[in-house]
Amino acid sequence: MVNHLANIADPLPPAIRIDRLCFAYQAKPALHGVTLDLPARQVTAFIGPSGCGKTTLLRCFNRINDRIPGARITGGSIHIHGIDINRPDIDLQELRRRVGMVFQKYNPFPKSIYENVVYSLRLSGIRKRSQLDESAEAALRSAALWDEVKDRLHSSAMGLSGGQQQRLCIARAIVSQPDILLMDEPCAALDPIATLKIEELLHQLKEQFTIVIVTHNMAQATRCADHTAFMYLGKLVEFGPTLQIFQTPHDPQTLAYVTGSFG
Amino acid sequence: MPQHIFSDYDNAIRHLQEDLLTMASLARQNLEQAMQALLRSDTDLANTVIAADSDVDELERKVDQIGMEILVRFHPVATDLRLIIASMKISTNLERISDHAVGIAKRARKINKDQPMQEVQWLEPLYALAYALVRDAMDSYTNHDPVLGQALHAKDKELDRLHKQLGRNLSNQLETAGTRSDAWLHLIFIARSLERIGDLSVNIGEETVFLESAKDIRHEHRKQAVDPNPPPQ
Repeated sequence: MVNHLANIADPLPPAIRIDRLCFAYQAKPALHGVTLDLPARQVTAFIGPSGCGKTTLLRCFNRINDRIPGARITGGSIHIHGIDINRPDIDLQELRRRVGMVFQKYNPFPKSIYENVVYSLRLSGIRKRSQLDESAEAALRSAALWDEVKDRLHSSAMGLSGGQQQRLCIARAIVSQPDILLMDEPCAALDPIATLKIEELLHQLKEQFTIVIVTHNMAQATRCADHTAFMYLGKLVEFGPTLQIFQTPHDPQTLAYVTGSFG
Repeated sequence: MPQHIFSDYDNAIRHLQEDLLTMASLARQNLEQAMQALLRSDTDLANTVIAADSDVDELERKVDQIGMEILVRFHPVATDLRLIIASMKISTNLERISDHAVGIAKRARKINKDQPMQEVQWLEPLYALAYALVRDAMDSYTNHDPVLGQALHAKDKELDRLHKQLGRNLSNQLETAGTRSDAWLHLIFIARSLERIGDLSVNIGEETVFLESAKDIRHEHRKQAVDPNPPPQ
């Protein structure tokens, strides 16, 4: 049933291997020895109170933290599909192509719907119109947006509703066919119906991508994540199948958090 | 059932309902075969029922598991919430109906060890009514028919009346029985099981009324029996 989520055997090697990862913002440690394997082609949710390090950890996966002065990995490693992504010779543009990201606040460019979707393809030098059209349609279809925008592809993206704009951002993130999709509270600014549409979309997208989502909304984690990681004070407290985390958490801190006793 | 935006939610509810209906079908079949084992002195059939009960037990666990998962994952509200709760309660009642069927089959097996007893046929009318109650209870659930669900109570009263009457006859026979007193005792317990199956069917009907109209009618008939002037609704 339902439980195709929690009982899935993991036939693929982990998409992301995190080994004793420590991270600090200047002198302030934010992550303390996080070790975790994130399963491929599944949705993993990071939950935990504000400041627990879940977004910091997420942003380590495409090294977007590199942009913050003084922010650095102080120990441990992250391997994506077997490659240490903190090696100095890593091509960051290629890393970010393979590890796409969707942010809390939908942020389409002030361009047409079409130009938003093909933006990264143009950046990577693709000029052929038929290829751009084909990729744009495929990405919009995958983002469950095609039927709603196919007749106004060249209208401004800013005219779309919030939920549509966020799905457009998802289309923009997946058009370059990443392996991994990072989502940092992607529904925080959306109404409940738009939220459910995004969640349903995650369910479809996990057939193609490994998805990691940070959410404050525990109900969202239960609805759409196969696995859930609970973090607290920069440490990974518990990681397991979502139903186990919410039905029979092993750690008393997880129990307290999911039952609303603290946080 | 309206479709949800989240397709996994629909899938989960569909699985829950499919398992519940399979369970109902097995419980009814077990009851039918247990009574045929008695009425036709068919011990093989009794053994079949006893073996089949584990399937119903497994389905009860499955319905509970799916129901729990739906509650945890999807946080159902309104009709969805009532559907999950009612389905889980109905599955408990179906499991108990199947347990009674197994009890009947075990007693039939014991009775069948001796000479056939013509008097087993005395239970036929009671069985017919109990079976009709199970059938109507599940029809009320599958056809979203709270009127039928509520009507089960009256039918159950008829079953109770028949049971009392038959119970008296069987007790009289037991008092005068010679060597076959055990068999008469078994028939008394089988009659009791059929009467309990009626009660369990009424429970299913009440759950259907709760599911379809959000009204909790449990114990209402008892309250009305005690208080001839119930407060206005």
